[in-house]
Amino acid sequence: MSAIRRSLAAVKGLFVRRRLEAELDEELRFHLAMEAAEQARRGASREEAQRQAMLKLGGLEATKEAARSARGYRRLETLGQDVRFALRLLRRSPGYAATVVLALALGIGANTAMFSVVRGVLLRELPYRQPGRLVVLHQRDPRAVTMDQQFSVPDIEDLRRRTRSFSGLAEYHSMWFNLLGGTEPERVQTGVVSANFFGVLGTRALLGRTFSPDDDKPGAPPVLVFSHAYWRRSWGGDPAVIGKTLQMNDHPHRVIGVLPPVPQYPDENDLWMPTSACPFRSDPQMTGSRQMRGFSVFGRLQPGVTLARARQDLAAANRALVAEYAGDYPAGGLRIDATPMLAELTARARPTLWLLFATVLLVLLIVCANVANLELARLGSRGDEIALRAALGAGRGRLLRQLLTESVMLALLGAALGIGFAAVLLKALVAFASRFTTRTGDIALDGWVLGFTLAAGIAAGLLFGTLPAVTASRGLAAGTRAGGSGRPGPAGGSVRLRAVLAGVQVAVSFLLLVSAGLTLRSIWKLQAVDAGFDPQNVLALTVDLDWAHYKTAGERRAFHRVLLEKARALPGVAAAAYSSSYPLDGIGRGSGSVRVEGRDTAGANLPQAGFRMASPDVLRALGIRIERGRGLESGDRDGAPRVAVLGHALADQLFGQEDPIGRRIAVGSAQPPVWRTVVGVIADVRDMALDQDPGDAVWLPLDQEPALAGSLLLRSRRPPGQLTAAVRTIIRDVDPRQPVGRVQTLATARSASLAAPRLTTLLLSAFAALALAVTVIGLGGVVAFGVARRTREIGIRMALGASRGAILAAVLREGLAAVCIGVAVGAAMAQLLAHVVAQLLFGVPPTDPVTYGVVAVLLVAVAALACLLPARRATDLQPSLALRAL
Amino acid sequence: MATESEDLLQGTLDLLILRTLALGPQHGWGIAQRIQQVSRDVLSVTQGSLYPALYRLEEQGAIAADWGLSDNNRRAKFYRLTRAGKRQLERETESWHRFTAAVGRVLRTE
Repeated sequence: MSAIRRSLAAVKGLFVRRRLEAELDEELRFHLAMEAAEQARRGASREEAQRQAMLKLGGLEATKEAARSARGYRRLETLGQDVRFALRLLRRSPGYAATVVLALALGIGANTAMFSVVRGVLLRELPYRQPGRLVVLHQRDPRAVTMDQQFSVPDIEDLRRRTRSFSGLAEYHSMWFNLLGGTEPERVQTGVVSANFFGVLGTRALLGRTFSPDDDKPGAPPVLVFSHAYWRRSWGGDPAVIGKTLQMNDHPHRVIGVLPPVPQYPDENDLWMPTSACPFRSDPQMTGSRQMRGFSVFGRLQPGVTLARARQDLAAANRALVAEYAGDYPAGGLRIDATPMLAELTARARPTLWLLFATVLLVLLIVCANVANLELARLGSRGDEIALRAALGAGRGRLLRQLLTESVMLALLGAALGIGFAAVLLKALVAFASRFTTRTGDIALDGWVLGFTLAAGIAAGLLFGTLPAVTASRGLAAGTRAGGSGRPGPAGGSVRLRAVLAGVQVAVSFLLLVSAGLTLRSIWKLQAVDAGFDPQNVLALTVDLDWAHYKTAGERRAFHRVLLEKARALPGVAAAAYSSSYPLDGIGRGSGSVRVEGRDTAGANLPQAGFRMASPDVLRALGIRIERGRGLESGDRDGAPRVAVLGHALADQLFGQEDPIGRRIAVGSAQPPVWRTVVGVIADVRDMALDQDPGDAVWLPLDQEPALAGSLLLRSRRPPGQLTAAVRTIIRDVDPRQPVGRVQTLATARSASLAAPRLTTLLLSAFAALALAVTVIGLGGVVAFGVARRTREIGIRMALGASRGAILAAVLREGLAAVCIGVAVGAAMAQLLAHVVAQLLFGVPPTDPVTYGVVAVLLVAVAALACLLPARRATDLQPSLALRAL
Repeated sequence: MATESEDLLQGTLDLLILRTLALGPQHGWGIAQRIQQVSRDVLSVTQGSLYPALYRLEEQGAIAADWGLSDNNRRAKFYRLTRAGKRQLERETESWHRFTAAVGRVLRTE
C-alpha cells in the first residue's frame, strides 16, 4: 500500500461519501438479516433472532464507525477538526502566535519577493511566439573571445543563403537619430532591422502593420513603426499617428504601425525602421564591405532543428566563407556561434539574482529554526493536555498530525501576511533589478508566485513543526508526563536539542554575514580604485552629429572647432574638449587592430586596442597624467603629420623596454596602412568599468579624425551643473538643429557605475543583519530556557556560596559553546561555498581571513551579550526563591 | 453458540480472512460463518471487527469487492482475493508457521 494510494482514496472518499455510506449500510443490513435467519433456523423467535444478530455484530453504529475509520476519508474530516482546534489554541495565546506569524511573514515575504524577481527576470519566457526557438548569433575572434565583432551586411546575406537550420535570420542594430515633425526636435533611439525582424520574433502590430519585404528594398520610401511606450509618451496614444509623415535624416518617413506593449529587446527603442531607411546602413560603403562589421543577428530555429545542429550548420557556412574571402578575415578567421536568446539577455542579472535568492532562503531557514525552538518550549508547557489526549485514545500518528496542523496553520498565516510584506519589498527590488536588465516590467505577484508562497508556507510549517512534534509525541510514548508544576518537562525538548538548533542558526548567520562582509570590502576597494582620471567638476554632454548633415570630414571638423572655441570662452570653464567617448560613459570605444611599422605582421596575431578621437585639451579636461612625451596638441591639425598617443599598457605591450616615441603605428586594417607617429604615453584609464582592467588605448587627434559621435567635456571651476544652460545655448548657436543627448557629470557617471554592486551589497547586508537579529533572539531564548530549568541548581550553588560571577561564567560558557561550534561550522561551509560569490567580488578573495575574523568576533561578541541578559536575570534570583521552585 | 471466543489479534484475523477467500469469493457474513465452521467452533469472529478488517484489506489492495447476488437472491458485497493478496497470504502463512513452531519449542522445554 502506498501513501499516495491512501490519500487518493481519501479524497475520492470525501466525494462519494454518501454512496459509500449507503453501501455500508446495505452490507451490514444484509449481514444482520443473514445472522437473524440463522438464529431463527436454530429456533429463536423473530425478535430474539434479530436481537442476537445485533449483539453478535457488536452494535450497528459502532461497527459503522470502525469501518469508516478503516477507510481513508476519515482523515480529511480529522484535518478539519485539527484546523479548528489549532485556531482555538492560537487565539488563546495571541502573543506567541503574533511573534511567530510576524517572524514567518518576514522570512516568507522576502522569499516571495525574491522569487517574483527571479521568475520575472530569469525564468519567464520572452514574450514572443515560441521563444525557446529564438537564438542570438555571435562572431568572435578566437584570440579575443570576450568581444563580439558582430556581422557585416554581406556576412548576413551569405549566412541566409548558406544555412538551412533557421526559418529566418533577422538583422538588428540601434542608432540615435534626430526626429523632426513633433512639437520639437527629438532625439530618438531607433531600432534598424531587416523586414523579417518582427516576423522572426512573432510580434504583430497593435495598430497598422509591421514591415514587409518591399519596405526593405534599396530606395524604398522610408517607413517607421512606433514602440508602444514611445507612442504613449510622445504622441499621447493617438491612433491618428498612422499615416503621418515625420522628418528624419532629411527624408520624409511615413508611420505605418504601432507595436503592442511588449518589452523591447535588446534595447529600449522608441522607433523602428527598415535597413533601407537608415542612411548609415544603406550606404554602399557599408553594404558592400565584408569588413564593416557591427550588426546583430537574431534567428529562429526551424521546427525540429536542435541548437547543436544549427551550430554545426553555422560552423560549416563559416568555414566556407573564411576560405573564400580570406582577405576580409583576420589571420585565424572568426568563429560563429549561437546562444538561446533568453540566456543571452539574462546573463548579466543571473549570478546576482540567484545569490540573493539563496540568501533569503537561508534567512527563512534561520527563522524556521528559531520558531522550532519556540515551539519546543511551548510544547513543554502543554504536556498535560497532550497526555490527556493520548489517554483518550489518540494514537501517536494522530497527535503528530494535530501538532503539525498547528505548525502549518501558523506558517500559512505568516505566508498570507508575508505577501503583503513582499508587495512592499518588491518595489525596492524592481528598482534594483532594473540596473541589470530590461525585464523588470514582467515582475509581479502572479499565480506562480502565490503558488510558491503557499508551498513555502507549508514547507516552512512542516520544517519547524516536525522536530517539536516528534519530540513531544516521543516523550509521550516513553510514558513520561510533565507534572502540573509548570516546570518544563521532557516534552519541552532537551537543552541540547535547542542548543543544536541555535548552533545551526549561528552557522547560517555566519555564512550570510561573511558574504555581506566580502561584498562590503569589495565596494570599499572599488570606490577607492584609481581610475586614471579625475572625475571632479567635469561636465559631459553627448553631442552626436546628424549623419545626414555632417557627411564630410570637413563639415565635422568645422563644427568641432567652432564649438570648442565657444566653449572655452564660457566663464568658469578651465578646459574644454570633445572626445568620441569618455570614461565610464557606458558606451565604450571603437576598437581595432594595431600594427607597428617595421614589424612583419603577416600571419601574426595583431594586438587589439580601443581607440578614441579627442581634441587637444582632453587630457587637461579629464585630468589624465602624461607619462612620456606629450599629449595631443593644437598643432595636430588636419594636414599636419599624423600622430597618436598610447596608453601605458599598450605601449608596454607593443614596445616593451624600447622608447615608443617616434615609432609609427597604424590602427585598423585599412590597406595601405595609415601610419601615425607616437608622440606620447599617458596613464591608463579604466573607462569600461571600475572593476575591469583598463585595456589598451590609442588616442588620436580629433582634427585629423573628426568623429561623428562624441561628447563635449568641460572642466569647470564651479559646480559643473551650473554650466549646463550656458552650454546648451552655445550648441544651439552653432547648429540649431543639433539636439543635446545625455548630460551628466563624470562624478555621477562614476557613481552610477558603482550603483549595481552597491545595491547588491546593501541587500545582502540587510538580509545578513536580519539573520543576525533573529539568531540573537533565538540564542537568548535558549539560554533563558536552560537557566529556567536549572533554577533550583543555581539556587543551591548560590546558597553554597558561589559568586554571581562564577554562575554567570558557567552559563556563558555553555551558551558560547554552541556559538563557537556554530561559527566553526559556518566557517567551513563558507570555505566550501566561497567560489559562488567569487565572481561578484573585486580585489577581495572569497576566503579573505580579515572578513572571516571580523565576522567571527562580531558574532561571538553579540552572542555573548545575548546570553548575558537572561543569565544575569537568573543570578538576580534570591537563592531561597530558587530553592522553593521544587 | 461458543461462549468462549478467543481474542484474535488483528493480524491473525487478516490471515484467516485471506485464507477463507482463497477458497473462493464470499460475502462478509459468509466469511464469518466459514471461519467458525472450519475451526470447529473454536474461533468465533467478533463480527464487529470483521468489517473494519475487510475494509482495511480492501484499501491495502489484498482483496477486491464487487456487488452480486447471494444464494437467496439478495444483493450482497462479495470479496475476492487479488494477486497481491495471494502473495500476502503466502507470506503471512509462512510467518505464522514459523511463529507457532518457535512458541511450541519454548513451551516444550522444561
